[in-house]
Amino acid sequence: MIAPSISVSPDSPFVHRWDPRLKLIGLLLLAFTFSFVSNLRVLPVMIALTLTVVAMSRYPLDLLLRRLRYPSLVILGLIIVLPLISGFTPLVEWGGLTVTREGLQAALLVATRFFCIVTLAAVLLGTTPLLRTVKAMQALGLPYVMADMALLVVRYLEVLSADLRRMRIAMRLRGHVEQRRPWRNLRTLAWLTGSLILRGYERSQGVYNAMRLRGYGHAPVRPGEFTATRVDLLALAAVCAAAGLLIWLELTL
Amino acid sequence: MHIPDGILPLPVTLGGYAASMTICWLCIRAINKREDPRADIPKAALLTAAFFVASLIHIPIPPASVHLVLNGLLGALLGVFAFPAILIGLFLQAVMFGHGGLTTLGVNGVILGLPALAAAGVFHCRSRGVADPPSPRRTTVFGFLAGFTGIAFSVLLFALILLTSLPAHLSAAAERSAILALGLAHVPLAVLEGLLTGLLAGFLLRVHPVILDGV
Repeated sequence: MIAPSISVSPDSPFVHRWDPRLKLIGLLLLAFTFSFVSNLRVLPVMIALTLTVVAMSRYPLDLLLRRLRYPSLVILGLIIVLPLISGFTPLVEWGGLTVTREGLQAALLVATRFFCIVTLAAVLLGTTPLLRTVKAMQALGLPYVMADMALLVVRYLEVLSADLRRMRIAMRLRGHVEQRRPWRNLRTLAWLTGSLILRGYERSQGVYNAMRLRGYGHAPVRPGEFTATRVDLLALAAVCAAAGLLIWLELTL
Repeated sequence: MHIPDGILPLPVTLGGYAASMTICWLCIRAINKREDPRADIPKAALLTAAFFVASLIHIPIPPASVHLVLNGLLGALLGVFAFPAILIGLFLQAVMFGHGGLTTLGVNGVILGLPALAAAGVFHCRSRGVADPPSPRRTTVFGFLAGFTGIAFSVLLFALILLTSLPAHLSAAAERSAILALGLAHVPLAVLEGLLTGLLAGFLLRVHPVILDGV
């Protein structure tokens, strides 16, 4: 269930070894700068920047395309509808449908921003293990309530999905057939979900007791798990410069 | 009801982060006022994981199928933990599946999290003005209301934020019709989630009533 992340070794490209804290800051900075862009003439620079990061990371292309598949379906509907429902300068009229210039430009802008941000996120987050990303967020000041919850959620997602799989197999073995009319299944679905929640709830008591016995809530947080080298800082400075360039182009072009 | 990256302009995404962080800070402040704030973290985390997994269950509504959102139920069972839990769930969904987005995390947190807190308020009304513990029927009815509120309020917020922030001009009439169409399209989902949450609350009351007291 958990998205695969690429293993990190000393020979890996720099993007994989970049301090996860600075990587997160860089990613958010670029993503928000991309959201700021609304000038179509800046889009090629944005695409070039994204492709440079992808090339530098040597992230497997098939994995990237797999990561983009589902989000692309979601955005596709909006890209198709936008030229038809918005704007006022008609470009093409066909069978009662009018494609407008403004709508088409908006669709192009939305699609480019979307693919650039999602690609960057897939590459930068996909080259760091998820648990390490959560720890980096904690090091950046994420409250312990949220960091602890996130780490536990990640830890138990696999366990509970396996529970759900087993429960559904058991239901089918006992003769349950999923109906096309949802209301016929609703009670069974509610009980299935309830049983899953109960399993999680009951397991949590044991988890909490075990965590307390191992010193949860008493042991100090390990400082210095992340150390930024000069190269890490230079990479963040390069990202800041790229973001600055995009903002300058947006304001001047 | 996740708004993906790239659609919303910068002021809206930043505003979403500011609103989410403020609400989250208020929730965490309430959690930290408890005698042992850490005691309920594993419980909330495991319930969040259970919700995350349960939301992968698809229900066929011909000609398509929908997946459960369960933010109403999450609010009813987790109370103030619901908002941070939803933010965590949304972050993991964005990272693991590409659902939603990173820049829109704050906005999506508000879209799903605020209704969860509203649903918590609705569900906890079931004990008001009743001397004895609430009956199974009352619990089921308030469960329905919590589930319905969670989805209906989310759809309203989603439509308002999405349609007023699109980077192209929409006429007021087109905007009104789009909000109406989106709202009507989601009525079956809201009723379905309401029914499911009601049945589930009734089930939990019979099997393990303590869980309905929240964390």
